[in-house]
Amino acid sequence: MAELTQNEKRLLAVLVKEHKADAPHLATMLDTTPEAVVQWAHLAEDKGLVCLERLIEKAFFYTDEGNEYLKNGLPETQILRFIHDNISLADLQKRAAFRIGFGQLRKKGLISVNNGMIFKVGNPSTDEDEAALKNPITGGQRTKDLIKRGILQESETVRYEISITSLGLAHAEKGLDLREETGTLSSEQIISGSWKNANLRRYDVTKLPRKIYPGKIHPYQRIISEMREILLEMGFCELYGGIVQQSYWNFDALFQPQDHPAREMQDTFYLKETVPLPKGYEKVKAMHEYGGDTSSTGWGGIWREEKAEQCVLRTHTTSVSIQHLVQNPNPPVKAFCIGRVYRRETIDTTHLAEFEQLEGIVMDEGVHFGNLLGILREFYHRMGFEGVRFKPSYYPYTEPSLDAEVYADGIGWIEMGGAGVFREEVTAPFGINYPVLAWGLGVSRIAMLRLGLKDLRHLHHSDIAFLRNTPALYRMTGGE
Amino acid sequence: MATISLPYRYLERLTRADRKTILAKIAMIGSDVERIEEDHADVEFFPDRPDLFSPEGVARAMRGFLGIEPGLPVYTVKPSGISFTIDPALALIRPVLGAAVIRGIAFDDESIQSIMALQESLHWALGRGRSKVAIGIHDLDTVKPPFHYIASPRSRKFVPLDFSELMSMDEILEKHPKGRDYAKIVKDFPLFPLIVDDDDNVLSFPPIINGERTRVTIDTKNILLDTTGTDRKAVSDAVNIICTAMAEAGCAIESVEINNVQTPTLAPVERIVSVRECSNLLGFTLSAQEMATLLEKMRFGAQQAGADTVRVQVPCFRADIMHNWDIFEDVAIAYGYENIQAKPPATFTVGKPHPVQVLAGLVRGVFCGLGYLEVMPFTLTNGETQFKRMQRPERGDVLRVLHPISTENTEVRTDLIPLLLEFLAINRHRELPQRIFSVGDVVHSCITHQQAAGISTHAGADFSEAYACADAVLHELSIGYTIQESEDPAFIDGRRGDIYISGKKAGIFGEIHPAVLNAFELEHPVAAFELDLRAVPGFPDL
Repeated sequence: MAELTQNEKRLLAVLVKEHKADAPHLATMLDTTPEAVVQWAHLAEDKGLVCLERLIEKAFFYTDEGNEYLKNGLPETQILRFIHDNISLADLQKRAAFRIGFGQLRKKGLISVNNGMIFKVGNPSTDEDEAALKNPITGGQRTKDLIKRGILQESETVRYEISITSLGLAHAEKGLDLREETGTLSSEQIISGSWKNANLRRYDVTKLPRKIYPGKIHPYQRIISEMREILLEMGFCELYGGIVQQSYWNFDALFQPQDHPAREMQDTFYLKETVPLPKGYEKVKAMHEYGGDTSSTGWGGIWREEKAEQCVLRTHTTSVSIQHLVQNPNPPVKAFCIGRVYRRETIDTTHLAEFEQLEGIVMDEGVHFGNLLGILREFYHRMGFEGVRFKPSYYPYTEPSLDAEVYADGIGWIEMGGAGVFREEVTAPFGINYPVLAWGLGVSRIAMLRLGLKDLRHLHHSDIAFLRNTPALYRMTGGE
Repeated sequence: MATISLPYRYLERLTRADRKTILAKIAMIGSDVERIEEDHADVEFFPDRPDLFSPEGVARAMRGFLGIEPGLPVYTVKPSGISFTIDPALALIRPVLGAAVIRGIAFDDESIQSIMALQESLHWALGRGRSKVAIGIHDLDTVKPPFHYIASPRSRKFVPLDFSELMSMDEILEKHPKGRDYAKIVKDFPLFPLIVDDDDNVLSFPPIINGERTRVTIDTKNILLDTTGTDRKAVSDAVNIICTAMAEAGCAIESVEINNVQTPTLAPVERIVSVRECSNLLGFTLSAQEMATLLEKMRFGAQQAGADTVRVQVPCFRADIMHNWDIFEDVAIAYGYENIQAKPPATFTVGKPHPVQVLAGLVRGVFCGLGYLEVMPFTLTNGETQFKRMQRPERGDVLRVLHPISTENTEVRTDLIPLLLEFLAINRHRELPQRIFSVGDVVHSCITHQQAAGISTHAGADFSEAYACADAVLHELSIGYTIQESEDPAFIDGRRGDIYISGKKAGIFGEIHPAVLNAFELEHPVAAFELDLRAVPGFPDL
């Protein structure tokens, strides 16, 4: 048999004697309010211990207007008293109850008006209306009319009758422990030792708990942190750099031609701010125009300083990597950066104008393309992707270039990011004499896989329910 | 990426292999198969390989890659006897001209489509939307050589393609759809480029539109190709790519005389490359002979020249080869990326987190401990959110993007609280209390730094909650601070405090002003706190 609460036990104890009683009566017996009794009875009814009957009783009340009419008669009764032969409308209008009374009489067809004179129709009487006013009947047409006229009001009162069921009786027969129960233990009970005699209430442990939401890290930040930790474990040094970059570092130093489509206003967020070029930019200029001292032809044409001075919102974190290399030209350099980058894209479910990019670089004596594949395979394995493969690709500042694809269960091969060896045209102007392996990937793509996201905007313009409901330990696809 | 449509029947005939074999390998030369249809496949190629922007070019590459026909393709070019004159006045307008004669065309609708598609892809990849290179093809038999590339008055009239009446060049820029699309390339010049024949018939108004007279039809037998532009290499690449594609289709290519030079020659360019340098870059050892064989698979001519050197003939259509490493990439592609041993580098290094990110992590931990949920709002926002709805005066150092995509994203955020309020507005109907925080980049002038902010909303959110939260975070970050009454209009007067650290204002907290709550359409009080993380002792100077 189900656990009974203290209140249910007390209710049963009274009902064993009363069998059936209404709530106010039980409330007096139990020294509580009728509302509390009904509430207990509801719960007890769910357990089959009592039967709760809801009885509705109707009553009529007179409004202030109604009370007045009760005393003086309805307005139509009052006016009817004044109507006699040869009375004009004008005379009648002088009477106090004229407006309502006259209207009612016309409406009921008891009088007629002809050439400004009033005539009774037949032998008019308002007796039935007066009777309805004195003894209203639920559902009666005249009563309804009076309610409509705001003279009468009908009210409902609900009364509860509670009776004990056979199951309730069975419980009572087994004996009811009516000792006072303790819910939350008080400090006093604990210290004094009175808890030893306390009757600790038993709780229904199968009920759902109250919901609380812990403070926690954003699921997207968790993925970023995981990648960060993997790269730190793999011996990479973390970089941090500004969102605003000179075109020189974002494009030119990376041998991106000045007429490259990615540099156009349609694809990049330009700013009106400009920054003077750093010392030694002439070598970059020479590389673009004719390939400097290398075996390269360069892009040809004229490289313009003013184009390189313009500031942009960085389109990739490679702008941060190349500056790190320029400041640290001695091997080995192993560094990574995870940061927000900006593309002037029309925003939809899979494209945002700003997104996180992860980028890594390795510069060392004797490193090669095969090492790049090795780093990528290791990184993606640690991210939980067993299948990793590479295919040829193109990036303006790397040669050879590749795209990495990973295998996700239920989806297939997914392109994850690009990589390559920095072109000599990129490294030579800065006196970087060893190969630089570089790779990048869109963090949000992994987030979409991991979190099963259909719309990237939810990472930023989030429904708080999504953040609250996504567990800290979360794996959907692409995980283990 | 350029998407090229490859009709199977044509591709199989040119490649001399079946579609299954071709499609199985095509991604390994550098492409993405977009769609496999009943009669054709749509395949994306990278912008550095415009020579693959036609079925003819793809078939040529695949014949090498599949071992059907390795080595350098050789094209013979006979002089056509046709010449061009160039008006010196074009030097500052559109100086470079390339041209060729293509004979023996056997057009059907498909092959006309194919050459038009190649022309458009080249306009995109090499031509930068026709500004750098523009290509025109003409029915040679409708006009009379020699031809003249001239700088013409803008009032000159002719009938442009797809029109039937005479129009001046100024009118074409205004009324012709192509004129409107490309007007910006020429509209500032006093004279316009024009190609005419010896009877002064107009062939083309480059880079805008051809004349109707020389329209290419299914009956066209011989073509005159004109290519104009601002960059000699790009113009010559375009001519070479079109001519060699047409030669692959079975046409004969003839040169024309421009400035006393016969062009094009379709001859390869020679480079001597080091085998060791290649092996070092790629990470596997090759002999000179092995390297030469791999390069022939990629349609280079290649012979061992010395113990460590290979002589390479780069085909004229390979616009992407600017440096020896570009050749080495082709060695890797021919070798197969799947065959390269993936091996992490051996050098021992120690990982090192950046102090800014370490601090951000610490701040996240403190806020989480206080029961705050992390959110990651956008960094692009707008003046309406940042200042107007906040009742704050516009900051002088706010960074505006020059060409925003929408009115939503016009500025880079200078503070986090406005974005957190926006987040609360989105979640207005969700269960309270809501306590959220964010740590991230903000930009003042051109300088990026990190700020942290937390806000709380529920029926009892007030000044004392904001103060307690600020105090807890500052305490955990070991920051000593003083408070002064603030004048920030985003907060209620008398319920707002400025946080001073080492005598400098570094943060704000308090109860958000009800007018601000109204502006964000929020219905409950909000307690807020924001801190500039540069105030944390030992924060790195960036």
